[in-house]
Amino acid sequence: MHNGRACKNGYWGGDLKMYSMLKRVIFFILLAGLWELLFWLGIWPEYVLPSPVSVGKTLVRGFQDQSLLIGVAISMKRIAIGYGISLGVGVFVGLLIGRFRIFEDTLGSLISGLQTLPTICWLPLSLLWFGLNDNAIIFLVFMGAVLSIATGTDSGVKNVPPLYIRAAKTMGAKKWKLYLEVIIPAAFPHIVIGMKQGWSFAWRSLMAGELLIVCLGLGHLLMLGRELNDMSQVIAVMLVIILIGILVDRLFFMKIERHIRERWGLVKS
Amino acid sequence: MSESVGVDDLIELDYRKTDKGQEISETNSAKPDLCIQHVSKSFQSKNGSVYVLEDINLEINQGEFVCLVGPSGCGKTTLMNIVAGLEKADSGEVWVNGRRILGAGPDRVVIFQEAALFPWLNVIKNVEFGLKLKGVSSSKRRTIALEYLKMVHLTKFQKSHIHELSGGMKQRVAIARALAMNPGMLLMDEPFSALDAQTRWILHYELQNIWMKTKKTILFVTHNIREAVCLADRIFILSTSPGKIKKEFSIDLPRPRDDNDVNVAEYSTRIMKELKAEIDKVVKCEMDADSCVECDIKCTTVEPVKTDIGGGI
Repeated sequence: MHNGRACKNGYWGGDLKMYSMLKRVIFFILLAGLWELLFWLGIWPEYVLPSPVSVGKTLVRGFQDQSLLIGVAISMKRIAIGYGISLGVGVFVGLLIGRFRIFEDTLGSLISGLQTLPTICWLPLSLLWFGLNDNAIIFLVFMGAVLSIATGTDSGVKNVPPLYIRAAKTMGAKKWKLYLEVIIPAAFPHIVIGMKQGWSFAWRSLMAGELLIVCLGLGHLLMLGRELNDMSQVIAVMLVIILIGILVDRLFFMKIERHIRERWGLVKS
Repeated sequence: MSESVGVDDLIELDYRKTDKGQEISETNSAKPDLCIQHVSKSFQSKNGSVYVLEDINLEINQGEFVCLVGPSGCGKTTLMNIVAGLEKADSGEVWVNGRRILGAGPDRVVIFQEAALFPWLNVIKNVEFGLKLKGVSSSKRRTIALEYLKMVHLTKFQKSHIHELSGGMKQRVAIARALAMNPGMLLMDEPFSALDAQTRWILHYELQNIWMKTKKTILFVTHNIREAVCLADRIFILSTSPGKIKKEFSIDLPRPRDDNDVNVAEYSTRIMKELKAEIDKVVKCEMDADSCVECDIKCTTVEPVKTDIGGGI
């Protein structure tokens, strides 16, 4: 076991990591080069296909005059609120469905029905309820994430080995303590799967909402780029959106998943 | 470790504060710790209701080690679940320490066949689990958990994840987790039956030592007669369908006993004879009426025993 660990993090492991990183960097440099080449060939006009250099310049300018930063901050604030609420509600609803037959038959079927509905279909209703403001978009984010989190929690709860619950009961776990100390932690691997899916739905709903409702945010910047025929801004904003997606996945979900794998002994070979 | 001086005091304190029932029973120890009265239980099946337990009466004294032995399906696990409060009896009552059992509680901790440790917690946090539920402060429960991990010789693995432990180590953690709650009684439901022979042998030895140290009342369910003889003060043989108490044996051998001790082996053969009829019943039930396996078993086992006894004397 110790030898295995030493190998993984030791000389060879580090070298392999460097090597795959190097491959990745070369690939993206080549991709940018190809893009630049296409631009230089002049097949499409610049307002259809900007050069990577001008996209880079727009990015730098966006960060210098803080317009991009403000856009990111506003979007992140909306998703943080919407996703936060959906996390609480989703886990709660999932627990109800997973533990009580009555909720499974009622709420459960409602949720599986609603899941077939693309989130953006909630936009008209959301506008009527909340008006043209942040709350309408937050509602969209909420609707995007809550169903996935609820179903993830539901399946997690249903997969909790009954033995854990029996053991906890004989040690005196009752009511909410049973949920807090046993059922939720035991269901956590499934809850995280739901959270991850919910996050990606929420992120898509946020962008869709911001594209359609004009009130700042990254989606708005994207739309602004189109209206001003500034294709390099459109692509710059797209890059930022991708970057945020990757960062959240790497910094948050991948860390949690690795933690779970180590804890539960579900190491991928 | 400089802490270890105060450890015993802490546990004593916790003992008195959380377990008032324990104090009462110390003063009148003649009273039985566990009292099972007229417990019956039946399950519904396709062919009508099946009596798993019928009119079970048992009394177990404070600090006694009792084994329930019976063939598979005789309802010994059901009886244990009723005592644990995880299942309800159709009729009859179970009294523990002068209180009637109406549900599961930390005064009777169960140790299951699979250790039932929580994979999201490391070893020491698993041992602390019950104490956390009780609301014991974190520094105090760490001290108590360490003390019991020491008792099962696993302090080295306190920070390990559960999946890194072997089967025997897991059961030892489960025992430590149960003991840390300082229950009056331990209920053990075939805890060692999934382990290999060597590990089981070690754990038999360790459990006897722990029992001698802690003087807990232990109700131990097993189908392994040798195991029962090795561990118990008294053994109850359960008959099958309906599950009834067929016979009681007292094992009066010095401790710690060894699985391979001659006396243990002798007791085992005597009890095996008693159990044989019940096993035959199960075989008859589970196999076809014309099955030859059944007559083979009878022929090969009964005959030589008779001749051996004659020759030996």
